[in-house]
Amino acid sequence: MNEDKYLVEKAIQGEIEAFEMIIQKYQQPLLNYIGRMVGERELALDFTQEVFIKTYSSLHSYKPQFKFSTWLYRIASNFIIDYWRKKKIDAFSIDHQKKLDKDLPPLQIPAGEESIVTKFETAQLKKKIERALERIPASLREVFVWRHINELSYKEIAEIKDLPTGTVKNRVFQAKELIRNLLEEAP
Amino acid sequence: MRCLSLEQIYLFLEKELSPAENKRIHMHLTACPKCKKALEERRLLLQAAEGLPIWTTPPNFTQQIMARIFPVRVSPFAWLGAVASGFATMVLTLFVFTLVTGQNLSDLLISFYHTLLHFVKNLSPLLVKILKLATIFLKILQQLGELIIKGLTLLTTIISPQIQIILISIAIIAIVSSIYGIRKKLWIGEKA
Repeated sequence: MNEDKYLVEKAIQGEIEAFEMIIQKYQQPLLNYIGRMVGERELALDFTQEVFIKTYSSLHSYKPQFKFSTWLYRIASNFIIDYWRKKKIDAFSIDHQKKLDKDLPPLQIPAGEESIVTKFETAQLKKKIERALERIPASLREVFVWRHINELSYKEIAEIKDLPTGTVKNRVFQAKELIRNLLEEAP
Repeated sequence: MRCLSLEQIYLFLEKELSPAENKRIHMHLTACPKCKKALEERRLLLQAAEGLPIWTTPPNFTQQIMARIFPVRVSPFAWLGAVASGFATMVLTLFVFTLVTGQNLSDLLISFYHTLLHFVKNLSPLLVKILKLATIFLKILQQLGELIIKGLTLLTTIISPQIQIILISIAIIAIVSSIYGIRKKLWIGEKA
């Protein structure tokens, strides 16, 4: 039995310390994801707490045949979707995704492509990526953060989002090319 | 071989392709400067993206979450403890009072008894009203006590143990020095 599943079992049996260990292990990656999705530190800290509270209250419904981290991240992802819905921001709807798919970045290397990334020094480039990340659609930002900041595999992201792996790969690709195209515009 | 797609370039950089595809791309890159340039551009982008600063949690963040999930519940035994400590505080106050004023404890209790008897005899209707008021006052005091306990519990989760020790030490010093100050003032008064 892996460590997470053991801790969940102990937490269900009433061992408070077991859930405390789960929080310690996942608070950082969850804050990184939620923070990049909402953009405000205080709100992100509050939402991270809410996600853990939600996770604890639904611990009995966790099925051990699935990876615990995937289940936890799915709760966080749904929490963020609910937040966008409440704010009436159409960021994750099917129509919105269809619209995005129409404005796909080019699949092939454009002829005479100009180098953008090499214009900036690493520190400046990181700042520009951070700004550009705030400007790309939330559904693309989400998969980008899971992949390149939280370093999850495409398979795990696909399980969290309940999407085919190919779709996830394509969305992460779109996110990266959009970020690249926004680098020059980003302040 | 035709040029690489941008998605292929990213997947190649992330080592997501099969060994056969990797080999094929390697071969193409040695012969195609356009694809090689595009690959270097994306390599730099990925390196920068993967080195973005992380959002760190504040200290005691775990304890804050735990306090929200498992709020403190006061058991009936805790109430017994509160009553016992209330009684102990009364005894201590009487002791300090006799110590400061220099009065005999038995004299003090006898005089208190006589006053009480006189009060009960003459002012019993008022006593009933006072008792009623006291009940209300006690209820308010109880709620205030609960609030203080909750506040202190929350504070202990937020404040580090070192700061807690410093605060307790300051409180003890303040109480002791105020008792000493009162006693000294009364002593000077007696002398005058």
